[in-house]
Amino acid sequence: MVDHSNGGKANGASGPGFLRGTLLRTDHKAIGLLYLWLALFSVFLGMIMSLVMRIHLVWPGAPLLFLGGLENSPERYAALTLLHGSLMVLMVLTAAPQAGFGNYLLPIQIGARDMAFPNINLLAFWVTVASLLGITTSFFLAPHVGIALWIASIALFCAAALANALNFSVTTIDLRAKGMTLPRLPITVWAWFINAILSLLIFSILLAACVYLLADHIFGTHFFSIPTLLSDVSLDSQTAALPGLWQRLFWFFAQAQVYVAILPCFGITTHLIASFSRKPVWAQRAVVLALCAVGLFGFCIWGERTFAAGLNPYSQLAFGLLASSLGLPASILLMSWFGTLWNGKVRLTTAMLFALGFVSLFLAGGLSGLFLAGNGLGSVVTGDDFITGHFHLVMGIAATFAMLGALFFWFPKMFGRRLDERLGKIHFWITFIGVYCVFMPMHWLGLISHLNPSSGTTFTLATAATSAIQSFVTIATLVTIAAQGIFVANFVKSLGKRSEAVEENPWRATTLEWSLSSPPPLGNFAGPAPVVYRGAYEFGGLDRSEDFASQTLPTDSTPPALPGGTDPGLRPVAST
Amino acid sequence: MPGTHVVDDIELIIEDIGGGGGNKPPLGDDGGGSDGEGNKRRKPTPISPRRYHTAVILAMISIVMFFMGLAATYLVRKMGSDWVPVQLPFMVWVNTMILLASSGTMEFARRKQAAADLKGFRTFWRVTTALGVLFLIGQVVAWRELVAKGFYVSTNPASSFFYIFTAAHGVHLLGGVGALLYVLLRNFDSTKLTLSVASEVTSYYWHFMDGLWLFLLALLYLGK
Repeated sequence: MVDHSNGGKANGASGPGFLRGTLLRTDHKAIGLLYLWLALFSVFLGMIMSLVMRIHLVWPGAPLLFLGGLENSPERYAALTLLHGSLMVLMVLTAAPQAGFGNYLLPIQIGARDMAFPNINLLAFWVTVASLLGITTSFFLAPHVGIALWIASIALFCAAALANALNFSVTTIDLRAKGMTLPRLPITVWAWFINAILSLLIFSILLAACVYLLADHIFGTHFFSIPTLLSDVSLDSQTAALPGLWQRLFWFFAQAQVYVAILPCFGITTHLIASFSRKPVWAQRAVVLALCAVGLFGFCIWGERTFAAGLNPYSQLAFGLLASSLGLPASILLMSWFGTLWNGKVRLTTAMLFALGFVSLFLAGGLSGLFLAGNGLGSVVTGDDFITGHFHLVMGIAATFAMLGALFFWFPKMFGRRLDERLGKIHFWITFIGVYCVFMPMHWLGLISHLNPSSGTTFTLATAATSAIQSFVTIATLVTIAAQGIFVANFVKSLGKRSEAVEENPWRATTLEWSLSSPPPLGNFAGPAPVVYRGAYEFGGLDRSEDFASQTLPTDSTPPALPGGTDPGLRPVAST
Repeated sequence: MPGTHVVDDIELIIEDIGGGGGNKPPLGDDGGGSDGEGNKRRKPTPISPRRYHTAVILAMISIVMFFMGLAATYLVRKMGSDWVPVQLPFMVWVNTMILLASSGTMEFARRKQAAADLKGFRTFWRVTTALGVLFLIGQVVAWRELVAKGFYVSTNPASSFFYIFTAAHGVHLLGGVGALLYVLLRNFDSTKLTLSVASEVTSYYWHFMDGLWLFLLALLYLGK
C-alpha cells in the first residue's frame, strides 16, 4: 500500500517539483488528498495489527511477523491494542471523513476558492503526520518513555485538529458564495461545520488532559493520582499495572472521538442517500437539527462526565455514552433516511450500497449499544469482547462504510475517472457479510464470558463453543481483510487508466462541485465566484428534461441545455 | 414535491438571520466582483476582515475550554487529602499590574490609530509589547521566588498547578507577543490583511489574555 500511495502522489506532481508541487501545496484539494492518503496508509497499518492480534488470540504460541518483542507479555499486547486503536481512531476515523473529504469538498460545496487560512491548513496536516510518526515510534520504546511519547503525539494531534476545526468553521461562516444561505447548505457541509465546532471544544479539553498527563510523566507531578505510579512501586506491580494503563488511556481518548468521527459520516450518508434516491432529503430541517443535537448532547454528556472527574483518564467513564446521547437524534436521522428512500427511484450504485451498509451497521450497533447504555454492564465489561464488538461495529466499521461510500461517490470528481462498479459491488458484499461474521460472534463471546459458572451444562457448552467461535472470527477476519485487496486492485486500476475520463457530473448531482471539471482547477471557480439560487437537494418532478436542478441554476430561467448550469461564470474550464 | 416547499419556508426565515455569508457579495480573494457579474479586474483587493474576527473569537472560545479543563481538574484535585496550599509569590501581583497596564497602553495605541496618528500608535504599541515581554520575564521571576522557598513543580499538587497554570497562560501570551511584534514589524502594503484589522484582532486577543490571567489568579488565590 505504500507503493501505490506514492504512485498516486507522483501523479499530481507534474509542475514545480514533487516537494513544492504536492507536499507543500496550500490548495485545499491537495491537502485533502494528502489526508486521504495518510488515512489509507494508516488503515492498512492498523489492519495488519488487528490481524496480528487475532492470530495471537487463536495461536498464542505462534511467532509473529515483526513483533518478536511481543512474547506473550500482556503489556506488549495491550500496547499493540493501543497502537491499533489510536491509528484507526485518530488517523483514519477522525482525519479521513473530516479533514480528508472535508478539506477537499467543503470549500467547493460552499462556493469558496480555498479555506480561510490555507497556510494553517498545510501546517495542521504536517503536524498530523508528525503525530502519526510519534504514535508509531512509541510502540517500540520502553514503556515509560513510550507512554510519554504517545501522549505528546496525541497532544500534537489535538493541536492539529484544533487548527483544522478553526479553519473549517471560519470558512463555513465567512466564505460562502453569494446566495449560499444556511438552508441551502448541503447536509455534508452542515455535518462538517457542526463537527468543527464540536472539535474546537472537545480537542481543547483533551489537550488540557494531555498537558497534565505529560507533566505527570515528565516532571513527576501527581495531577492524576493512580494507585501505581510507574516510578515509585516495585517492578512486579509496575508490569501488572501497565496493560490497564494503556487500556484506560485509550478509552479516555476514544470516548471523545466517537462523536467527532460519526458526525461527518451522518452527513455523507444523508447526502448519498438523497442523491441516489433522486429525492430531496426528507425533513431536511429536522436532519440539520438532529445533527446539531448529536453535537450538543454528545458534548454535554461527555463533557459533564469528564469535568466531574477532573479530566482524570484513570477514572471510569461509563460506556454506552454514544447510545445514551444519540437515542433521539439518531432516530430522527434514521427516519429521514428511510423517508428519503421511500418511493425514491433508488439507484444501487456501489456508493449507495456503502451508504445503506452504514445504515444497517449503525442500526445493529445501536441495538447492542442499548444493552450498554442501560444498567451497569458498561463498567463491568470494559475491554472485553462485547465492548470490542460494539465499538467496532458502530464506530470503526460503520464509519469505514461511510468513507468508502464517499470515496466511490467523489472519486470521479477527485481523479477524473470512475472506480469499477462491478469490482466495487463484489468488494462491498464480501466486506458487508464479513464484518457481520466478525463482530456478531464477538458480542456472543462477550456475553458467554459473563455466564454464571453455576448454570451447569449451559456453561460448559458455552465455554466449549468459545474456542470454535474464536477460530471462526479469525478466519472471517482474514477473509474480510483479503477482500480489501479487491478494493486496492480497483483503486490502482482506475487511477492508472488514462483513457476513460468521465464527464463532470456522472451521478447527476446538484451540489456545486459537480459543476466543475474533474479534478477542479486551482482556485476552483474560473472567473467570478458562483451564485447560488437553489437548495442542495432539488431532485425529481421538476417538469424539465433532467430530474435534478443544480444549485447554480437560476430559478426563473428556462431549462438548461447543459448539466453544468447556465451561469457563464460557472462553466468549467476546459479539462486538460 | 413537498421537500422543495419546506426549503422555501426556511429560506424566508433564516435568510435575514444568516445575513452573514448568504447575502453579501462573495469574499473571493481575487476577481470576486461586487455583483457576481463579469468583473474582470485582477487588482489584489484587501479581503474582508470578517474571517479574522471570526477566527479570533472562535480561538478564544477554544482557549476558554482548554483553561476550563485545566480548572476543572484543579477544583476536583483540590479535594484530595494530600493538598498543601501554596502562598502565591509576591511577584505575581506586580505582574498583574504590568499586564493591566499593557491593556491600557494598547487602548491608547488604538485610539491614536483611530485618530490617524501613526507615530503615536507605534509608540504606544511598542510600550505594550515591552510590557508584555516584561510580564513574561516577571512570571519567570515569580517561579524563581517559589523555587527559593522550596516549592518545585512536583513538590505537591498545589505548586504543580501554579506552575502549569502560569506556564500554559505564558505560552498563550507569548503568541500574543508574537502578534504584537507582527503588527509592529510587518509591512502591510503587500499583504491582504490591513494594519487596522491586524491591530484590532490582536487587541481582542490581548485583552482576552488579560482577563484570562485575572481568572487564573483568582482561582489560585481563592482556591488555596
